[in-house]
Amino acid sequence: MRLIMAAVFLYAAYTKLREPWLVFAMSIDAYQLLPQWAVLTLGRTIPWLELLLGLLLAMGIALRYTAAAAAILLGVFFGIMVHAYAQGLKIDCGCFGLGEPITARTLLRDGLLLAACLTLTFLAVRQRARRFVAQENKLATQS
Amino acid sequence: MASPGAQIKGRGTPGAPVQLDVYSDYQCPACKALYERTLVPLMADYVDKGKVYLIHHEFPLPMHPHAMEAACYACAASRVGKYEQAGDVLFRTQDSWAASGKVDQTVCSVLTPMEAQKVRVLAKDPAIIAEVQQDIQAGRNANVSATPTLILTHRSKQYRVPGGASYEILRRFIDQLLTN
Repeated sequence: MRLIMAAVFLYAAYTKLREPWLVFAMSIDAYQLLPQWAVLTLGRTIPWLELLLGLLLAMGIALRYTAAAAAILLGVFFGIMVHAYAQGLKIDCGCFGLGEPITARTLLRDGLLLAACLTLTFLAVRQRARRFVAQENKLATQS
Repeated sequence: MASPGAQIKGRGTPGAPVQLDVYSDYQCPACKALYERTLVPLMADYVDKGKVYLIHHEFPLPMHPHAMEAACYACAASRVGKYEQAGDVLFRTQDSWAASGKVDQTVCSVLTPMEAQKVRVLAKDPAIIAEVQQDIQAGRNANVSATPTLILTHRSKQYRVPGGASYEILRRFIDQLLTN
């Protein structure tokens, strides 16, 4: 699951970074939620954030934090998409470049990705907690 | 991008570095917003200065009962050289004619009596209807499914521009392309 999520984030970053950054900025702008300065800032930074998260997930580094950050990012995207869909806005999702409108299908797909990310976060946290408990038990046994 | 056999409804310099194809529906509220907030300033700042060549394509949606008639009247108005005036009045008074169905009255308000007479006949001409249908088919061939859809072409590369993007962001993108 970790590698699948890594691939998703890396692909998302690739589809955005291969185009001029203003193309992605325009897809953010189409949601009509943010002021111009925020649109431009996010347009420049989100693709790189996705790239970073994808690489960290692929390498399994700081998995609890990386998975949580990915889940938060996906959660925000998903919430905005649901809002736009409920408003009846006929706009592109912007998830993997332009040309993909927000539909029930894209919502389902992104909802599943969010669920997978949350599951990954939960598993990573649980694994860390178990390791911590095991270490504590080992120390207690030794002393 | 123009449908074969149809009149190209373009504004600006055909050889401009950037071409913007707009597929829109005169009865679509988002198209009205695009026209008023984005296309009007774009025409003043870029199209009329030779930087962008703007081509309009009719794409009336079936859900809008008067959209097809509006498209036919606009195409008919292009035959008397009043395409832009017809499009302008259709977008600006959309709320009124969309509710009343008075497309004829709306378009003819910007025409001389002689032009109005000619346009009324042309709007029902099979050639005009075929022109609109050709535009629709060209849009479908370009994967247009909703309005407004904007396709920006620069150096043979095409970008689909989200219809809801603001003029300020769009102009930054066009400036970036022109600089490159």
